[in-house]
Amino acid sequence: MEDLVCPLAVLPTAGGDREGGGSGSDCVSMAALDLRAELDSLLLQLLGDLEELEGKRAVLNARVEEGWLSLAKARYAMGTKSVGPLQYASHMEPQVCLQASEAQEGLQKFKVVRSGVHAPEEVGPREAALRRRKGPTKTPEPQSSEAPRDPLNWFGILVPHSLRQAQASFWDGLQLAADIASLQNRIDWGRSQLRGLQEKLKQLEPGAA
Amino acid sequence: MAGRGKLIAVIGDEDTVTGFLLGGIGELNKNRHPNFLVVEKDTTINEIEDTFRQFLNRDDIGIILINQYIAEMVRHALDAHQHSIPAVLEIPSKEHPYDAAKDSIQSAQGQGHVHC
Repeated sequence: MEDLVCPLAVLPTAGGDREGGGSGSDCVSMAALDLRAELDSLLLQLLGDLEELEGKRAVLNARVEEGWLSLAKARYAMGTKSVGPLQYASHMEPQVCLQASEAQEGLQKFKVVRSGVHAPEEVGPREAALRRRKGPTKTPEPQSSEAPRDPLNWFGILVPHSLRQAQASFWDGLQLAADIASLQNRIDWGRSQLRGLQEKLKQLEPGAA
Repeated sequence: MAGRGKLIAVIGDEDTVTGFLLGGIGELNKNRHPNFLVVEKDTTINEIEDTFRQFLNRDDIGIILINQYIAEMVRHALDAHQHSIPAVLEIPSKEHPYDAAKDSIQSAQGQGHVHC
């Protein structure tokens, strides 16, 4: 694919006089210097992002592998056919959603959000007198149809600890997946910015390449 | 649905899909297509590709998780996807460890050499 030209090696020498100085070429030189500085900064950021992406991916793979191991342990405890598609609910509501925000033009950022988070229960009494006698009355709230059911319940009421561990591992994996997706977008965005700046630099200094 | 955020879809083997559904990403009701596909031995490549394209065309899906060995079967469809949303993430499977060189997205980002 295309080569990323590192501008660090092609900085003009200080005081170097190109074809007959003058304010015009000085302005161009200054603009080129600024562009090079911007390119350097962008390139360093890109390299940092790539390194971070590699790290997060390794962690994601590790979490997924932990999840598989925990699922295998759960199957060992519950039975081979007890943890699989046969237990999937016929109706599912997502407990986890993705919030996508656009930080800058073309730059998407993802964040995993848990839905169905209940507000803290209000313990304050409705009637002060009752509180003294019987404690706060709790009006039975209608069982929230909006609150998604925990997928652990698909597999029974008392599930082994390994199944909960599997859920935790895959939940961590989802967080990492969102981070990786954000990083991938940032890297793509950074590369397109880099290409744009390189084009501008070529226009300013057609001879330097 | 509006304001609820986007979904995470998954195309994978039984363990991968079960695991991520345990994590809470699953959506299944009469009115909407599921956001997951369990790939079994008798699942055809056409089915996988159709499902992948459906996920790409849905505007309520933000990320598609796919086992890398399944991504290999529909590599042409992955390579053709150039948009930032939905993001496509390749993940390993039990029998096939992750290979960064095969990852469409990661290999495209790593391509290009830095000359100094």
